[in-house]
Amino acid sequence: MRPPAESIGNLAVIVGAIALLIFVAVEGALVYVVWRYRASRTTTPALFEGHTRLEIAWTAIPALTLVVVFALMLGTLGEIGAALEPGMRVRAVGHQWWWEFTYGDVVTANEMHIPVGTAVEVDLLSADVNHSFWVPELGGKIDMIPGQTNHVRLLARRAGVYEGQCAEFCGVEHAWMRIRVVAEPADEFARWLAAQAAPAAAAATDGERVFMANTCVSCHAIRGTPATGRAGPDLTHVGARATIGAGVLPQSVADLREWLADPQRYKPGSLMPRVPLSGADLDAVAAYLAALR
Amino acid sequence: MIADASRAPALVTNRTLLGMVLFISSESIFFFAVVVAYLANRDAGLADARANLDLLRTAIFSVALFASSGTVAVAAARRDGRWIAATFALGAIFLGGQGSEYLRLLQTGVGPQSALFGTTFFTLTGLHGLHVLVGLIALAALALASRSRRGAVRPVAWEAVSIYWHFVDAVWVVVFTVVYVGTFV
Amino acid sequence: MTAVPLWVLRPGGSRAAGWLRTVDHKEIGVLYIGMGAAFFILGGLESLVIRAQLATPEAHLVDPELYDQLFTVHGVTMILLAVVPLLVGFANYLVPLMIGAPDVAYPRLNALSFWLSLVGGIVLYFSWIAGGAPDAGWFSYPPLAGRSFAPSPGVDYYILGLAVNGAGTIIGAINLTATILLMRAPGLRVSRLPLFVWMVLVTSILILGAYPALSAALVMLFVDRQLGGHFFDPTASGQPLLWQHLFWFFGHPEVYIMILPVMGMVSEIIPVFSAKPIFGYRFVAASSVAIAFLSFGVWAHHMFAVGLSAFETFFFAASSMLIAVPTGVKIFNWIATMVGGRIRLATPMLFAIGFIAMFIIGGLTGVSLAVVPLDLETTDTYFVVAHLHYVLFGGTMLGFFAGVYYWFPKMTGRLLSERLGRWHFWTTFVGLNVTFLPMHWVGIQGMARRMWTYAADTGWGPWNFVESLGAALLAVSMLVFAANLVRSIRAGAIAGDDPWDGFTLEWATTSPPPPENFRSLPAVTGRRPLWDAKHPDRRDAA
Repeated sequence: MRPPAESIGNLAVIVGAIALLIFVAVEGALVYVVWRYRASRTTTPALFEGHTRLEIAWTAIPALTLVVVFALMLGTLGEIGAALEPGMRVRAVGHQWWWEFTYGDVVTANEMHIPVGTAVEVDLLSADVNHSFWVPELGGKIDMIPGQTNHVRLLARRAGVYEGQCAEFCGVEHAWMRIRVVAEPADEFARWLAAQAAPAAAAATDGERVFMANTCVSCHAIRGTPATGRAGPDLTHVGARATIGAGVLPQSVADLREWLADPQRYKPGSLMPRVPLSGADLDAVAAYLAALR
Repeated sequence: MIADASRAPALVTNRTLLGMVLFISSESIFFFAVVVAYLANRDAGLADARANLDLLRTAIFSVALFASSGTVAVAAARRDGRWIAATFALGAIFLGGQGSEYLRLLQTGVGPQSALFGTTFFTLTGLHGLHVLVGLIALAALALASRSRRGAVRPVAWEAVSIYWHFVDAVWVVVFTVVYVGTFV
Repeated sequence: MTAVPLWVLRPGGSRAAGWLRTVDHKEIGVLYIGMGAAFFILGGLESLVIRAQLATPEAHLVDPELYDQLFTVHGVTMILLAVVPLLVGFANYLVPLMIGAPDVAYPRLNALSFWLSLVGGIVLYFSWIAGGAPDAGWFSYPPLAGRSFAPSPGVDYYILGLAVNGAGTIIGAINLTATILLMRAPGLRVSRLPLFVWMVLVTSILILGAYPALSAALVMLFVDRQLGGHFFDPTASGQPLLWQHLFWFFGHPEVYIMILPVMGMVSEIIPVFSAKPIFGYRFVAASSVAIAFLSFGVWAHHMFAVGLSAFETFFFAASSMLIAVPTGVKIFNWIATMVGGRIRLATPMLFAIGFIAMFIIGGLTGVSLAVVPLDLETTDTYFVVAHLHYVLFGGTMLGFFAGVYYWFPKMTGRLLSERLGRWHFWTTFVGLNVTFLPMHWVGIQGMARRMWTYAADTGWGPWNFVESLGAALLAVSMLVFAANLVRSIRAGAIAGDDPWDGFTLEWATTSPPPPENFRSLPAVTGRRPLWDAKHPDRRDAA
């Protein structure tokens, strides 16, 4: 199995080489002709005004080149479409301005994990406006259009973190709608998925109490607690993700506190309002969330 | 149109008529786009269309519009304001019919906002109705001008108005087929 | 003869009222050009704010709301309120002169077209002080552009402004088409039309075919937003993609509407400055007709990522590649025109050559966007931003500047300064490459378009900084150009009727031309009537 990104990369090299060849040839011809026939070198201009066979040639040769390019494209499309037997399925839903990923019953956000070497079929949906799911190193982008389901197949050959970005303008915070795809060996992935499937451990801390007593719960869900909101990202294991706010801040208690204190400062326009909490409450909630691992 | 061999080339050699031909060409693309939008959403609105449209009633009013293509042709050929008046009357009957259809639908709660069918129906037929209205204004102006100062109307004005009216009529052939006939076959 | 400053060109009447009432094609041409220039400045200022914001990562110079308004209005402005009026203005001014006509077919409608176009632009800009400019991008995809997600009136001004502006453009296209078909001088057959006139004819027909689709889409968006309709509303079985199809059915021909007239300008300039007839006249003209036809069958290459069927994907990939062929034919013919010529590298020719050089780049990246897997990686990224600016700045604007330097003497009676012209050319040429070349790279690396900022850890910062420096250089180049215009209108060298040893009829009258254009017309027996008149011994074949 060849990852789609590799097929695309190969095609890009070939098409790029052809384009570069044409570029050098035509620009070279242009520069040479301007230099060769400049006024100081020429006295009497020629007066020919056409040559039908030449016209046919420079119609036919580019056309044939494009036939070759088209054939190469078909080959690559075939490779991308046919070679991958999906080994698992993930549902991805674009929201203004975050990503929801669902593995069976497990719901998470903004950070997607996939096993290395397994082709993953991603069903792409949108909860509001058009978005586009794009992780450049894993392949081309496919739009998320409300009212329809699109699909993209991902395959990572090497373990690592692949950065992505919403690629269809979707409103004010289109920029801070980043994707992290973490590709890991199958056993690590299985451990991650099992951890994600577990409900949040009961904390009975001040942080949990403040969280549950405020409007947080109307938008966010934490499985195993009374918080069941669906408008914002599921926070059951938010502490295990590497970033906050779809990539706007790194994950840490301090950054969580900053974010909670004023989301609009870091992600102006974000649908997460500033919840008026005391300093102590902020500390407590940040600590509670960071511990949701 | 009345058979007249010298008239066809006038469409592309006479300045006013060529302008009108170019204008209705671009208007055709406009209506084409709206009809495509209707068809693209047809299936989702079909049940509503079946439940709410009255084929027979609208067919009768449509006959008035189709007949007006004949009267306007005669008017242009004879440069006769009375035939223009007849065309105007037939066009007004059609528009009145559409108005009563609109009232009936709105009273039963079908409007541009009610569901997809209402949106596409009112947009397509409404845009056509606006074109009929513009045609009626042109017909009225022509009739008045031809009565007040005989000969003051340039001959080409008759033909220009007539071409436009034929176009409005032709659009309705398409709209009626797509919206009404298409719903019940 | 003496040169007359631009602002006293019009015969009789008080100045302001005269401009308001005028139905003269040359004055309306100047009005169009003035409108295009004014909006070009506004669109340029908007782009400078955008580049300032993006110069460094995670900047907060503007907030995202304002940023979204800026890039939306920048796009609409440059495309519909700057480039199109500038080109229509030149067409208005030049077409009657080049076909030996006293005016356009419908002078009063011509005035109406202009005023509608201008009012459309003013309506759009009025949004800035009336609750916010449109902010859903120049192609305003619903549902984002729908009422639920864009509740402010910006998109409504977009709808109204574009509809009014579009009506003006359609009427103008009817006028130019009829003018070219009906008002040619005796002997000026269609097969002898100057290529600029050919391209204006093809462009006008493209406008008549494409703009109504936009008008229809705008009406539907209006119904959705103002009457509670559901055309594009997925929650009521409406189809967001319908907008994309309709918009790009207009939007792709629009690209050719913005490039064909400029190709026509270049096709006039290169022969004159090579002292040779155009190579392959019939092929240059026929390739435009081919482009026009094909341009109505390529729209969905803007939509490869939306989940098209396999058939649609193959069809639009093939048609989009095919349209490169007639485009290539033109480039080869321009180069062949120069072969064997005696090339004078005056400013118009410099810009024309620059146009070819840059358009090749935009053309090649364009073909790569027809290759579906590559498009899926690059669409909606800065690669596309780079591509479209190579076509529209490197192509359209360089070619347009060639036209300005070439015809300014005809319009004003004075030549633009060659020295400032060279400065203008080289600063523009360098500036545009510094601005737009790195965008290819950041796009491939993952920078999506329309991001109001980007994270520092992406590593895109240095490239973006370079791009912003390039934009600053472009701003300087425009100041040089403005200085050249102002200086030359006042004190440029007197041009005379025919400063470039031209071939076509506009050089057979005074500079600027009198109200009815011509006192007498040379007999037209070939494609280069003025050449024939000047060289009776070496006339072109009839």
